[in-house]
Amino acid sequence: MIEVENLGRTYVEEPVVRDLSFFVPEGQVLGFLGPNGAGKTTVMRMLTAFLPPTTGRVVVAGVDLDQDPVGLRRHVGYLPENVPLYPEMRVDEYLRFRADVEEVQRADVHARIEDVVDRCMIGDVRRQVIGTLSKGYRQRVGLAGALIHRPPVLILDEPTVGLDPNQIIKVRELITELGRDHTVLLSTHILPEVEQVCERVFIIDRGRIVADGTPEALRTKLVGNPSLAVELKGANGAARDALEALPGVITTSDRGDGRYLLEHAAGSDPREAVFRLAVDNGWVLLALTPQQASLEDVFVRLTTREDEFVPATAEGEAEEVHDA
Amino acid sequence: MRKVWAIIRRELIAYFSSPLAYIVMTAFLLMQGYIFYLIISFLNNPQTPAMTPLRLFFGGTIFFWLFLLFVVPVITMRLIAEERRSGTIEVLLTSPVTEAQVVFGKFTAAMVFYAALWLPTALYVLVLKRHSEIDIGPVLSGYLGVFLLGFFFLAVGTFCSTLTDNQLIAAIIAFAAMVILFSIGLVEQLMISSSFIKSSLSHMNLWTQMDDFAKGIVDTRHVIYQLSAGALFLFLAAKSLEVKKWR
Repeated sequence: MIEVENLGRTYVEEPVVRDLSFFVPEGQVLGFLGPNGAGKTTVMRMLTAFLPPTTGRVVVAGVDLDQDPVGLRRHVGYLPENVPLYPEMRVDEYLRFRADVEEVQRADVHARIEDVVDRCMIGDVRRQVIGTLSKGYRQRVGLAGALIHRPPVLILDEPTVGLDPNQIIKVRELITELGRDHTVLLSTHILPEVEQVCERVFIIDRGRIVADGTPEALRTKLVGNPSLAVELKGANGAARDALEALPGVITTSDRGDGRYLLEHAAGSDPREAVFRLAVDNGWVLLALTPQQASLEDVFVRLTTREDEFVPATAEGEAEEVHDA
Repeated sequence: MRKVWAIIRRELIAYFSSPLAYIVMTAFLLMQGYIFYLIISFLNNPQTPAMTPLRLFFGGTIFFWLFLLFVVPVITMRLIAEERRSGTIEVLLTSPVTEAQVVFGKFTAAMVFYAALWLPTALYVLVLKRHSEIDIGPVLSGYLGVFLLGFFFLAVGTFCSTLTDNQLIAAIIAFAAMVILFSIGLVEQLMISSSFIKSSLSHMNLWTQMDDFAKGIVDTRHVIYQLSAGALFLFLAAKSLEVKKWR
C-alpha cells in the first residue's frame, strides 16, 4: 500500500531524512516511533504529498508521488500533529467543507458525514463551533475529517498527544477499529501505545530506520533472551544450581531473599520444570513471573548514543522506565 | 470548481464570523458617508468649479485612497497567513487541491467581501438621483474602476499573506507594497523632462486611471494594466505558497 524507496529530505543542507526504504502492505497498522526531531513528521509530510522529497520515490495506493501528487492525496487521509482545525466553523460545516474539498461524490456527502460522525462519536457536538470544543473532541473531529473520503491509507501524526487517559483509550480503540479496513501509519513517542495498537513498529532516529518488526520481535531481537522471575520460600543455597540445571535455562542469578532471575532460551518455557523442582524439594513457590523487556528498553538502547551527552535527568527517567 | 467554491464559502464563513468584518464595514461606511457629505457641501458652494459629485467620490479625493490602502490589507491579511499559523494549510494541501485553487478561492472570497463593502454606497447614487439628474454611465464606469482597483490591490494583499504566518506582518507588507504601487504613478507628475521612464510611469498612475473611470472613460489600457498586474500577483501568490508552505 505504501512503498518508499531511498527517500531523503534535506533542509538547508541538513539531511533530516536519509535514504529511507520500506514497504507497508495493505491493512497493516504501523507505528512510527522516534525521539522528537527524528524526522517522523517530515516523512509523513512527504507521504501525504505536502512536502516534496529531495530524493527517492514514494508510491501510495499505486500512485507515484512524482507523477501525480494531487492524485496521491485522494488516497490518503492525514491528521497532522496538533490537529489543525478552523475554530470559527461548526463541526457540521467543517465536515461538509472537507467532503467538498476531498471530492466526495455529491450524492454521498450526507451519508459520509453521518458515517464519520458515528464512527468518531461526535454526534453530540455537531452543531457546536469547533473553537469551543475540548481537546478530545477536537481530535475526533480532526479524525472524522481525515476519514471523510474513505481513504485506503490513514496517516496520523501523534494522534493522542495532549489527551487525558480516558480520551487516549477512546482514540486508541478508534484507531484499532480503523485498522481493520485501513492501512494506518501513526507516529508517536508513547511506547505503550505502539504495543497496544500496532502490528509493526519502525524506530526511526536521525532520519534513519534503526529497527523494524513486530513489537514482540523487536523485544526479543534487541533485548536478548526472555527471563523468568522466581521466588522461593524455604530454599537453601542449592536452589540456584538446581534451577540452572533445568532444561532451557541459560543462567540464573541470585537476587537474595529466595528470589532468582532465570534467563532461558527463546521458545523454551521452564515454568513447569521450576514448579516440579520446588515441589520435589519441598520449597514453596511464591512467584513465577515471565519478565518482558519493554519496548522502552529497546527504544532507549537504540536512540541513545554513547557519543551523545545525556543529561542527568534524562538518564534518571530512563532508569525509572527500566524499573517499571 | 466545486473545491474552489467550498474554499470561497469557508472563507466567507470566516469573514462574517469574526468581528473584524463588521468593524471594517462600519468604519468604511462611516468614512464613505463623511466623504460624501464633504463632497456635497463642497460642491454646494457656488464658487467651486463644475464637477459631478460622484466623480469626486470615486477616487477624486485622498480619502478614497487612504481608506483603500488601509482596508485592503485588513481584508487580505488573514487569508493564507492564518492558515499557516494554525497549520490548517497542511490539511488543505494534503487534500486533492492545488495551490492555485487555494489562492484563487481565497482571493475570490476577498473580492466578494470587498464588493459587499461597496454595495451600500449604491444608496448615495439613489440619493443623488432623487435630487438631481445623474448620468448613469460614469457611475457604472466608476464602479468598474473600483472593482479593478480592488482586483489589483487584493491580489497584492493575497500575495503578501503567503509570505508570513503572522497576520499583522502580512498586513504591513501589503500596506507598504500598495503604497509603493500607488505612489509610483504619482512620481511621474514630479518628473519634468519627458523621458521613457516618465511615459512608462504614466501608465501606472492609478490616480489618473481612477479619475478616467470616474469621468466615464473606460480606457482598455487601464483595464489591462490592472487586470494583468493583479493576475501576476495571484500567480506569484500560488508559487509562493508552493514554495513556502512548510517552514
